[in-house]
Amino acid sequence: MSGNPLDKRYAVLGAMLIAPTVLIFCAVIVYPLVSALYLSLFTIFTPTLRGSFIGLGNYAYLVNSPEFWRSLWNTLLWTVCTLTLQIVFGVAAALMLHQNIVFRSLARSLILFPYFVSTVVAVLVWRWLFNDLYGVMNHLMLMAGLIKMPLDWLGSMPNAMISIILVGAWKYFPFVVIAVLARLQTIPDALYEAAKIDGAGAWSRFVDITLPQLRDVLVVVVLLRAIWDFKEFDLIYLLTGGGPIIATQTLPLMVYKDAFGLNDMGRASAVAVSMMLVMLSFMVLYLKLAGRGERESQP
Amino acid sequence: MKTLAGRIAFNLFAWTVVLVTAFPLIWMILTSVKPQFELFRIPPTFWPEQITFEHYVRLIYETPFLKYMRNSLILGFTTTIVVVVVATLGAHSLVRFRYPGRERLAQMVLFTYLLPSVVLILPLYLMMVWLGIANTIFSLVIAYTTFALPYALWLLRSFMQGIPDDLEAAALVDGATRMEAFVDVILPQALPGIISTSLFTFILAWNEYLYALVLVNTDEARPLTTGVMSMLVSAFNIEWSLLMAASVMMSLPLIIIFAFLQKYLTRGFGAGGVKG
Repeated sequence: MSGNPLDKRYAVLGAMLIAPTVLIFCAVIVYPLVSALYLSLFTIFTPTLRGSFIGLGNYAYLVNSPEFWRSLWNTLLWTVCTLTLQIVFGVAAALMLHQNIVFRSLARSLILFPYFVSTVVAVLVWRWLFNDLYGVMNHLMLMAGLIKMPLDWLGSMPNAMISIILVGAWKYFPFVVIAVLARLQTIPDALYEAAKIDGAGAWSRFVDITLPQLRDVLVVVVLLRAIWDFKEFDLIYLLTGGGPIIATQTLPLMVYKDAFGLNDMGRASAVAVSMMLVMLSFMVLYLKLAGRGERESQP
Repeated sequence: MKTLAGRIAFNLFAWTVVLVTAFPLIWMILTSVKPQFELFRIPPTFWPEQITFEHYVRLIYETPFLKYMRNSLILGFTTTIVVVVVATLGAHSLVRFRYPGRERLAQMVLFTYLLPSVVLILPLYLMMVWLGIANTIFSLVIAYTTFALPYALWLLRSFMQGIPDDLEAAALVDGATRMEAFVDVILPQALPGIISTSLFTFILAWNEYLYALVLVNTDEARPLTTGVMSMLVSAFNIEWSLLMAASVMMSLPLIIIFAFLQKYLTRGFGAGGVKG
């Protein structure tokens, strides 16, 4: 952009246009972020908001708390499993919707819709499907002979963990579909034609052409979804509430519970900050990749 | 897939997958029009033996649903207007002006877009209590800017990068000021981007749950997400058909927006993931 006629004299005007954004960012993002770090050094009773300084006491407590490690483990387990399913089903569905099928745009809309409905709606529907007495899931599984007794989908382990992973995969795989579909449309047909002439079968065309072409977009999608799944609150909180006991409690749920159930805002902040530290590596990696793509695409 | 039979088989397979994926949503609609007693059939009926809209009527007249809906609409529109106005100015600045720190700022925007709300929510809660605006729709508008503004800014920035520099340069040569060029040249060009950003921002605000759960504790200000969930929790015995009717009503605005957005889908929710 070196030959840009819109030169630096306008820097002041540019700064004025961005000023509202910067002010809002400082008030609702930067200040709370610093404040969260600060709060994590206190013990604060939520109803009265009175607190006392305890230094790194909250963190020392967390390191020795089995509940914290269990929640971290749950978060990782949930993220890895649901993410894997999202990617596998997402890529498969994208490949399928890339073909010529009848009413293709309607099919695409139907596949994408779970991503757009509110998590509240998704959870209500799934809780109804999972209902132990009248739910369709139990009925279908009984009919197919897969189970002998109705299952308790959300109230016992390991069912509860499997259920949230499945619902998470259902809700978020369309994001993968959107990204992969967009990329598939830009792969030149000539590549496939050439491979066909060389005698490559459908499978080897997929492995040798499609997958390498999708690699970059998949790396970005995996990172982005990993970040979002890691911090997921609504879906898990509304499906199981972290239960049974703490078997599906992830770190975001622990933050909420500590702050408003156990009324210790300081410790909750410490959990939140620890969680962010774990996420930070993913976030930095993503920012790096996004920055690289940016420079490549700019003239 | 050269043979006709192969094509038909593939189509059947593809549509089976699509319908299985969409089944929970189809089931939601079917359940909402079944009479209450039909839900407790074993085995369950697929098509309703009798179609009734009684649950929708009850939802509107006997529950606070309309109040929640009003709150959600106010919340959605206010958030969208505030965020899109601020983000349009900001994105224009990030794309067309040069000043120190511009690149850093763009990176900051992306970073904040990835931040988990649970980190920000406790200080924001304290802030709202301190300001004395907890339990108001206004406090939610402020909280929603934390995720909606970075999102809208990032999306608009990618839209505006697609507008050629020459257009603005030509207007300047003709004697327009920078602001006139912005209003007369850039804004009309960016309008499709601004419209779809607005719709996506509205969806985000419409669907948000966590901030609403923490910051608002009265029916006067409660939006649909927490409102409908409170109907589930407070019910003595859960009336699934009523809840399904509420879910359908809650999804209606999304279906309408969805129909509008078909061609922008990849750009909108792929933002950050795929470059638009």
